[in-house]
Amino acid sequence: MRQFDVDACVEDRPGDGVFRVNAAIYTEPHILALEHEHIFEKTWSLLGHECQLPEPRSHLSTMIGRQPVLVTRDEHGKLHAFLNACRHKGALLTRGESGRRRNLVCPYHGWTYSLDGRNAGIKDRKTGAYPDAFDADSHDLIPLARLETYKGLVFGALSSDVPALDEFLGESRVFLDLALEQSAQGMEFIPGRIAFRYRGNWKLQLENGTDFYHLTSTHAGFMDIMAKRRSGTDGNQDARQFDWQKRLSQAGGTFQFKYGHAAVWLDQAEVEKRPIYPAIDEIAQRVGPARADWMLKVRGLSLFPNMQIADGASLTLRVFRPLAVDLTEVRYYCLAPVGEAPELRAWRLRQFEDFFNVSGLATPDDTVIYEDCQRGFQTGPGWLQGMARGMAVMRTGGNEASEELGFSPEASVHGSFNLQNETTLHAAYREWARLMAAGEQGRPAYD
Amino acid sequence: MTDALCSGHGTQVMALVSAIVAREANLLDDRDWQNWLGMYTEDCEYWVPTWVDEDTLASDPRSQLSHIYYCGKAGLEDRVMRITGGRSAASEPRRRTSHQLSNHQIIEADDASIELRCAFCCHSYDPHTTRTDVFFGHVHYLIVNRNGEWLIGRKKIVLLNDTLPAAVDIYSL
Repeated sequence: MRQFDVDACVEDRPGDGVFRVNAAIYTEPHILALEHEHIFEKTWSLLGHECQLPEPRSHLSTMIGRQPVLVTRDEHGKLHAFLNACRHKGALLTRGESGRRRNLVCPYHGWTYSLDGRNAGIKDRKTGAYPDAFDADSHDLIPLARLETYKGLVFGALSSDVPALDEFLGESRVFLDLALEQSAQGMEFIPGRIAFRYRGNWKLQLENGTDFYHLTSTHAGFMDIMAKRRSGTDGNQDARQFDWQKRLSQAGGTFQFKYGHAAVWLDQAEVEKRPIYPAIDEIAQRVGPARADWMLKVRGLSLFPNMQIADGASLTLRVFRPLAVDLTEVRYYCLAPVGEAPELRAWRLRQFEDFFNVSGLATPDDTVIYEDCQRGFQTGPGWLQGMARGMAVMRTGGNEASEELGFSPEASVHGSFNLQNETTLHAAYREWARLMAAGEQGRPAYD
Repeated sequence: MTDALCSGHGTQVMALVSAIVAREANLLDDRDWQNWLGMYTEDCEYWVPTWVDEDTLASDPRSQLSHIYYCGKAGLEDRVMRITGGRSAASEPRRRTSHQLSNHQIIEADDASIELRCAFCCHSYDPHTTRTDVFFGHVHYLIVNRNGEWLIGRKKIVLLNDTLPAAVDIYSL
């Protein structure tokens, strides 16, 4: 394996007005192996939403980086999470993504586990002539080091050396709450599987999730269609999609948070086109007028390393993970208020499909360009120039927008849409560099 | 199968709808978008449901996600604008597609409408990446008689391989 030098990957010299990454971080297989070891296996990851484990005895198969994980809800309703591998020969314990069952029975040799992970039976144990040393071992499933929930979202960590989930999410919880408190009854994933793969590095999705700069070029075709629909008669009116031209004159900004998280926001020109708008009075009574107003804004939240919420054309939660240095799997979930009126639900779905689906009118233009980036990286471009916009107006700490919501970011930018600043990526890559360096130097990931 | 469909009339109906769906597939492969749009009714339903789990196909586009759902031809017109507008990276260069339809089965037929199920497979070649994607599944058509002209009133595409590549559009389904 080649020597890893974090300073050759991320150059972080804010005093000199320099923040940039080297294209090698997207192409080198040995860097991906280190990312698995030092990032995905050392920090919190989203495992799913509690709505995917709706009742006792349910299970959900998911992944942290390259490792299969099984989340269960036992007969008493308690959540558990395990490495998804039988202690006997390592086979996956389930073949479906989710479901209900009394026990987990390995399909290979029939070892059985209760949903709390205890070994409940080794097939034909009495006739097995097992040695004493075998009997002295635990045969229970190996639990994840950490498992916690935040307002319906289930997070897990493979390492016990992580901060408490509340601390890890930190000030970004305000932006999470703006997505997770849109209904008094909580939020849920609308049924329907959206999964796709692109031939590019996972960090291309990480970057795009808080990138306003690409909208007017990458999504020019989408904006043309929106302009056509402006007549009110042409095109798919069922989506009641936003007039993106109106968005381009709005004010907005970005926030950087601790542990690599970041948020982006923009004032909303057409609040009445938000599927939560008809419920906004109830929401305002519950969360207060300022937060209700912020729920109507265009918002994006990136939780390092691989979860994002985008609330611009309805609300999505996406998770992405590397399958190879140049292959990424993305899952999109349509996050929606529990108890939403059927006509609002249908409208939300049409707006979501229109913009977010990889069979829709916006996302595929992103993903094919990720693939083009991956090919472009083969030229060995060295230091890329994609994280400088907005640096000259970036300020340490918060601004009037964060004060309105009552949180304290690490850094902030406020300006017109046209600023389209790229500084959210500083948070992500500063954390990337910190975790990679800690791992390489054998230090704990978190102090 | 009803007696009528086993008769000479049934053979004629099968020949009629087979020709219609073959023409639709060929228009997509030929990128003849205007004539393709012309095969649909103004109030057509175009639906590609998602899978809810491994065994369950979404059954209600108003409460479950769809890959594509349009209630009206206007949504298809958006697609054509996107494909031909030259402002969508995912749409350029245009894919070369070959649709294969088979296993045609008439589910119901009368003078006003014909319901047909068939299997489809589309090979979609991207000259930019030189990769070929394959999409396959079943299609349920409702062909309706509008003033003597047979048009597509509903097309439901059951896409079986639903872990998708980086871009999917109507020409590959």
